[in-house]
Amino acid sequence: MKELLRELSLAFGPSGCEDGVKDIIKSYIEKNMPACGEVSCDTSGGLFLTLKKEGAPRLMICAHMDEVGFMVTHIEENGLLRFGCVGGIDPIVLTSKRVVSESGHRGSIIAKPVHILSKDERDKRPKIENMMIDIGADSREEAEKVTFVGEYFTFDSDYVEYGEGYVKCKALDDRLGCAIMCKLIKDIATGEVSSDYELHFAFTCREEVGYSGAFAATERIKPDYGIVIESKAVADVHGVSDQKKVCVLGDGAIVSFADLGTIYDRDFTRHIMDLCEKNNIKYQVHRIISGGNDSRNIQISASGCRVALLSAASRYIHSPADVVHYDDLDAIYEAIKAVIRRGN
Amino acid sequence: MMEKIKSTLVALCEEMTVSGYEYRAENKIRELCGSAFDEIRVSPLGSFVLVKKSKNKNAKRLLIDAHLDNVGMMVTDIKKGGFLSVVNIGGLDTRVLPATEVTVYGKQEIYGLVTSTPPHLRKAGADSVPKMDELYIDTGYSLEELEKIVTIGDPVGYRLKLTEMENGYVTTSGLDDKACVCAIIEAIKDVDRDELKYDIYVTVSAQEETGKNGSARSAFEIEPDIAIITDVNFASGDGTPEHECIKCRGGAAVDISSLTDRALTRNIIKLLKDKGIKHQIICEPGKTYTNNEGLLISGKGVRTAVLSVPLKNMHTPCETVNLEDIKSLKEIIKAIVTDGEL
Repeated sequence: MKELLRELSLAFGPSGCEDGVKDIIKSYIEKNMPACGEVSCDTSGGLFLTLKKEGAPRLMICAHMDEVGFMVTHIEENGLLRFGCVGGIDPIVLTSKRVVSESGHRGSIIAKPVHILSKDERDKRPKIENMMIDIGADSREEAEKVTFVGEYFTFDSDYVEYGEGYVKCKALDDRLGCAIMCKLIKDIATGEVSSDYELHFAFTCREEVGYSGAFAATERIKPDYGIVIESKAVADVHGVSDQKKVCVLGDGAIVSFADLGTIYDRDFTRHIMDLCEKNNIKYQVHRIISGGNDSRNIQISASGCRVALLSAASRYIHSPADVVHYDDLDAIYEAIKAVIRRGN
Repeated sequence: MMEKIKSTLVALCEEMTVSGYEYRAENKIRELCGSAFDEIRVSPLGSFVLVKKSKNKNAKRLLIDAHLDNVGMMVTDIKKGGFLSVVNIGGLDTRVLPATEVTVYGKQEIYGLVTSTPPHLRKAGADSVPKMDELYIDTGYSLEELEKIVTIGDPVGYRLKLTEMENGYVTTSGLDDKACVCAIIEAIKDVDRDELKYDIYVTVSAQEETGKNGSARSAFEIEPDIAIITDVNFASGDGTPEHECIKCRGGAAVDISSLTDRALTRNIIKLLKDKGIKHQIICEPGKTYTNNEGLLISGKGVRTAVLSVPLKNMHTPCETVNLEDIKSLKEIIKAIVTDGEL
């Protein structure tokens, strides 16, 4: 799974521009599951795989393919690019970070340099409207040779395994969900894992900007149950009290009872927790009501469905250095494996 | 020629040279200089002195300086959960630090990330810039393992590669002042001893960022007749007002200051005009904020001039220069050492 996670995370895929990610997933499925299922795409931009099982309840497993990024909104006379964020990004992680465009041109995000800031400005967090992307053009004409208003940029960040089991890259949110689903599909194809549900894998798009392909996916699949795989912003760093950390990297899959978008199905969530206990799978409970994800869109689509969330704790989410722990990814995988064998 | 400049610059920028740790680059400096110099020695404070003498027995001693060190951090404590507290070495802008990648130089080099807390989990109303003592380095190790690798006092530097942008621009940290180190080494390598008008003493100096200590000490030993200090200077394009700075792709600049030698500066400008070498002028009525201020009062006093390479985003991980301007400084130095009537 590590190799696939690396490939997926490095792929260019901000919301609305997920084709690069979709192609990797599609060819992975076609290679590893040549005959068992049916891969399809829909007009919402999602990618779906159905593993038919007549009469069995329908379980949709969902992760989003898109990542946060930037879009060029204006090119200044002096060649600098004004930009807006695609998805929610904390401005404090932006200054001086490297970015790369759809067409592969590299640059960095610059803000007013510290030596010309007033004392007041110096103490305030920088605002996105005061930042620009510098790609090395000194005039609008030079910039227009390599970019255009409307072009996407993402963080330019490599994949690094560090410390004891941690990994850093851009876009781990939510390529880790995509990677876990791909591994599950492969292990089902080889017979290593079996399911008592009719499984519907939905790789969705545009989650980071709210209007996700999860709506269309749910309308189309009409599942009885849904499991969303995500990453969760936590404050697991030194100097934060244990309670405020929310969750801890390496302590297992996060189950949630509620966030700002969704009250998760209580029975389904309890059931997952019981299975984790029974199978010795590490899990932790999300200790704050915050954030939201595709779950809400799934819950309120079609005739509604019972949704549970499994997420990996992430430090510095939506930055060039999204960090998660491999053990948590394994725990999420094991938890889903336990769920889909109903005999458990 | 641009390829040569680029490869030397990449080689210099790969080296960790946080102030006080310049000695780590000794092998790289020796390798880059090859056999072009008569002598390469290391001063007690860690500056490298590269000597190349003229054939002329009565040649004057010309010192050309650029500093090798750059800003960074130092470990002050090892915390539970694999976090390190740090202090800055030199002037650091903490606005650029959250989620920045670093290397910790312990018993082995390990990867680290400067911490950041998500907005919805921060203290209410916390819109101030995080202070150095609110930021930690995340190493991903347990306390027990980390204590085996890292010791209090170990240096921390940005983990970066030089990135090429459009039109000859490159970006990374430490281009202040490795851009100038690169230009000087490439210039002197290019000049035959027969052409040298002066005995050349290049100081690739230490500890500029922490008080300009390195080069002035070297000058005591060298006793130069003339010193030319090369450093970066603020360029427009990052928001710095145009009238306060120089322009990228305008060539290296000659500084005019009350703290540089007026006749020497005038002679350099005349030389560049006569030879048609591209350059620009920057006026700094007071301090130049370079090693100039240390050099001019060393020994019995030294006649000094300052040359600047335009640089954007100074002291950040995305310092940006244009290779053309490094080439321009190289050309200017070549002209001075071969034809300068200083």
